[in-house]
Amino acid sequence: MNEFSITEPLFGIFQVLLLVVLSPLIVGIMRKTKAKSQKRVGAPIIQPYFDILKLVKKEEVVSDQSSWIFRCNPWVNFVATVSAAFFIPVSIVYSPFGVMGDILLVIGLFGLGKFFTILAGLDVSSSFGGLGSSREIMFSTLVEPALLITIFVIAIFYGGTNISTIVASANDISFLASPGVIFALIAFFIILMVETGKLPFDNPSTHLELTMIHEATVLEYSGKSLALIEWSQSIKQIILLTLFVNIFIPWGISNNFSLTEISFGIVLIIVKIISLGILIALIETRIAKWRLFRVPDLIAISIASSMIGVIFFFI
Amino acid sequence: MLENFYLVYAIVGFFSLGAIFGLFSRGKPQHVYLTYIPSIIGSFLAIILSIVVFTSEDIHITLSSQQIFNFEIFIDGVASFFILIIGLISFAVSIYSLSYSKKFDDKKNNSNLGMLFNLFIISMMLVVASNNIFFFLIFWELMSLTSFFLVIYEHDNENNLKSGLTYLVMTHLGTAFILASFLFMYAQSGSFSFDSFRDAGIIPDYVRDIAFILAFIGFGTKAGVVPLHIWLPQAHPSAPSHVSALMSAVMLKIAIYGIVRYLFDFNSIDGSSHYLWWGLGVVVIGSISALVGILYALVERDIKRILAFSSIENIGIILIGLGLSVVFASFNLTSLSVLAFVASMFHTLNHAIFKGLLFMTAGSIHYSTHTKNIEDLGGLIKKMPWTGLMFLIGTIAIIGLPPLNGFISEWLILQSLLSVFQIPSTILQVSLAFASLALALTIGLAAATFVRLFGISFLSKSRTLKAANAVEVPRFMLAGKAILASSCIVLGILPFIGINLIATAFNLSYTPLNPFEPLSIITEDGKSFASLMMPTVLIILLSSFVSIFVLVKIIGSKTSVKKYNTWDCGFGGLSERTQYTATSLAEPLSRIFAVFYKPKNEIINYFYSDQNQYLKKSIEMSHTTRNIFDEFYDLTLSFSLYILNKIRKIQTGKINAYILYIMIALLSLLFAMGAGIIE
Repeated sequence: MNEFSITEPLFGIFQVLLLVVLSPLIVGIMRKTKAKSQKRVGAPIIQPYFDILKLVKKEEVVSDQSSWIFRCNPWVNFVATVSAAFFIPVSIVYSPFGVMGDILLVIGLFGLGKFFTILAGLDVSSSFGGLGSSREIMFSTLVEPALLITIFVIAIFYGGTNISTIVASANDISFLASPGVIFALIAFFIILMVETGKLPFDNPSTHLELTMIHEATVLEYSGKSLALIEWSQSIKQIILLTLFVNIFIPWGISNNFSLTEISFGIVLIIVKIISLGILIALIETRIAKWRLFRVPDLIAISIASSMIGVIFFFI
Repeated sequence: MLENFYLVYAIVGFFSLGAIFGLFSRGKPQHVYLTYIPSIIGSFLAIILSIVVFTSEDIHITLSSQQIFNFEIFIDGVASFFILIIGLISFAVSIYSLSYSKKFDDKKNNSNLGMLFNLFIISMMLVVASNNIFFFLIFWELMSLTSFFLVIYEHDNENNLKSGLTYLVMTHLGTAFILASFLFMYAQSGSFSFDSFRDAGIIPDYVRDIAFILAFIGFGTKAGVVPLHIWLPQAHPSAPSHVSALMSAVMLKIAIYGIVRYLFDFNSIDGSSHYLWWGLGVVVIGSISALVGILYALVERDIKRILAFSSIENIGIILIGLGLSVVFASFNLTSLSVLAFVASMFHTLNHAIFKGLLFMTAGSIHYSTHTKNIEDLGGLIKKMPWTGLMFLIGTIAIIGLPPLNGFISEWLILQSLLSVFQIPSTILQVSLAFASLALALTIGLAAATFVRLFGISFLSKSRTLKAANAVEVPRFMLAGKAILASSCIVLGILPFIGINLIATAFNLSYTPLNPFEPLSIITEDGKSFASLMMPTVLIILLSSFVSIFVLVKIIGSKTSVKKYNTWDCGFGGLSERTQYTATSLAEPLSRIFAVFYKPKNEIINYFYSDQNQYLKKSIEMSHTTRNIFDEFYDLTLSFSLYILNKIRKIQTGKINAYILYIMIALLSLLFAMGAGIIE
């Protein structure tokens, strides 16, 4: 194993860069899918890259009410999200940085980003920001138990909260270990939709502020800061998609550190993520946004489903 | 060995010196130095003392050789861990007090405050150090009474008197239970010294059960366990802020100390399934406390009440860890038991640190703005930047986000909850899974609570003139907070310090960690369950920051940053009245958890004239939530008053009647003896 001691971490960094670079593409593909299914032409799938490049070069307007919290939020968000990418396995069953963190750390890092986003929404002293923050707080409070119980299910079935362990043992098993995991899958899918701001929870693409949740909190951003915010949002999305794919449908992922297997693994994971993204986009076009106070019911379904998963493990 | 004795005497001496100066100096502004500098030195020596005990041997001092009034000091690892907590927090708080107590300069005799402050700290240390029922109770009572006087220190406010009274009643109820528990143990062991309790053989199991329940009620009252928490959210906010910091961060831990002694020192729980239900009970009560505490913190508007309710939550989390440890131990899962115990003690240490920090910050806010209501604050981060930064650190730590210390202990507790699948009992596993549901909800609600607290009080526009005129607090207050804020960071990034400390203090079979060794959890079949390595996480965070910073500099052109008004939809007139308030921020959650709050909206319309009810002059809307526990206690109170009123009728005031009562009593005693009920 000695000759791999340097190449492995380097490969890990390469995987992170891959996620960071590919993430706007997924956004573009999902937007294009939505446009096609609504009989629109839609923007080209590489439009998100143009957006980011353009925004980085633009002048920034900052609210005179804001403090340094508002200014550092995009950076904290970006750094926390990119760091989370280090701990998840992408094309190979283990992450080279897997010993250093587990799924709870990934959630903690997302939480750090969310914490600053909510504060930034309050910082600009507009009522839209406050509104977005209030709803974001409500969602994140309710999603927390759903998420942790889902992790509970996954951890006890696959023997650890270390994501490398999870993916490795998921890959060993020829089909999903038990009905319990299917319930965890349902729960995780709902959480995925909430966390990435998808319908029926949130609709970031409207321009009616009252219907937005995440977008309302970042309404005041422009220029470089907005670019970072959008980018980190798309990285978070690709990380969650990767997690979903690798935990529930890991087959074909490379088992050892050889060039052919890894390249096959990379191609396969990209295909899987894109198909999952298209699926989500198609689901999104078929449903309407729910009334705010109906959303907790859906999250409750997620909690209940993961609790059923727990009980399935024990009986 | 000899110098350790002198260290103990020196600590007691310095605090007594501070107390005496407080008693005899007559409230001149510069006299605060006379009372607080001895406590700074004393607390610092306490930290040294605990480190000395960790590295060398236990201290055992016995004064006087009489049977009962045998003054025994026994500082083992357990005691010195708690002395470390007391020392660290009171060191920071004493420095903070040098400036903070100026707030009371013009009010009344400021020196009395210093005297009580010194007595309070030393009584807590002596409670932990006592090894004898008698002196334990004396110092326990001294601790309760000094804290009572501190709660009612600002007694010109009627509310403070009321909350002081509630505190006095509840704390004595608790002391009564502790006393009863000790007497049960004493009746079996025949000695007042704690050493005899440690002797496992003497005391039968059922006595241990009864004694533990009594002690848990007693210590639980002090710790603020639901439903005995009723005094806590009243008393902590009433005391001056440096005292609330001590009460919340340290005094609650003394109760935890009592529970730890009972669970792991007076009883040896290893491998005995008899103690399983103790552990389960503690987990259940802990989960309820955590959830209820944080639910009520969420809707409060008084900063110090929010913090007090959050202390109930954190005590709940600590108890979950302790209970789990007992559950694991009763199934002989030693390594998991150690894990849960380390998690719980780490959280005890962390909670002391960040709650002390947050209460000091709350004190700073009160110092500069003269209000504790967060609806009146806003925009403070621009007026008090350092306080704001430290409050942010405390907030991130308390809601358990990486890379600060709260994350580590919550990670450990979650990991020990996740490990319940190794318990060989299905019912227990499923029920403990529900405990993790409660804990997860608690963590989510805690985040909401503290985001609201920080966001409303420090960000956006100042809502009132009080907040707009705030200035940064004096430097001693900043220094006190900075000590604890930096401890949050250090224990977060280098958790091995805390874990090694706990492992040595409690003599655990936990292999010492190196800085770059991950915290790891191994399942029973030897597979790695989880691992975490904070220093590298920090390196990853920093390096990704540097790379993205460089990237943005390269691809982005040089652009200017313009300051402009917040976007107001083109209507104009965004003011401090249009921004979100603390109440509106928590409204969706208060609607979802309506069972606990019974939220009520009241809308009052004011019309231009009573005849014409169409033209409204103004509308007043208020949103109120209620505390169901207060209502429960009010009900209990009125019921007992009703019963006592009935009973009062026997007090006729006539001497004949009393003689009749005595006769009845004697006769019934005679009958009882005749029937052989009593001997």
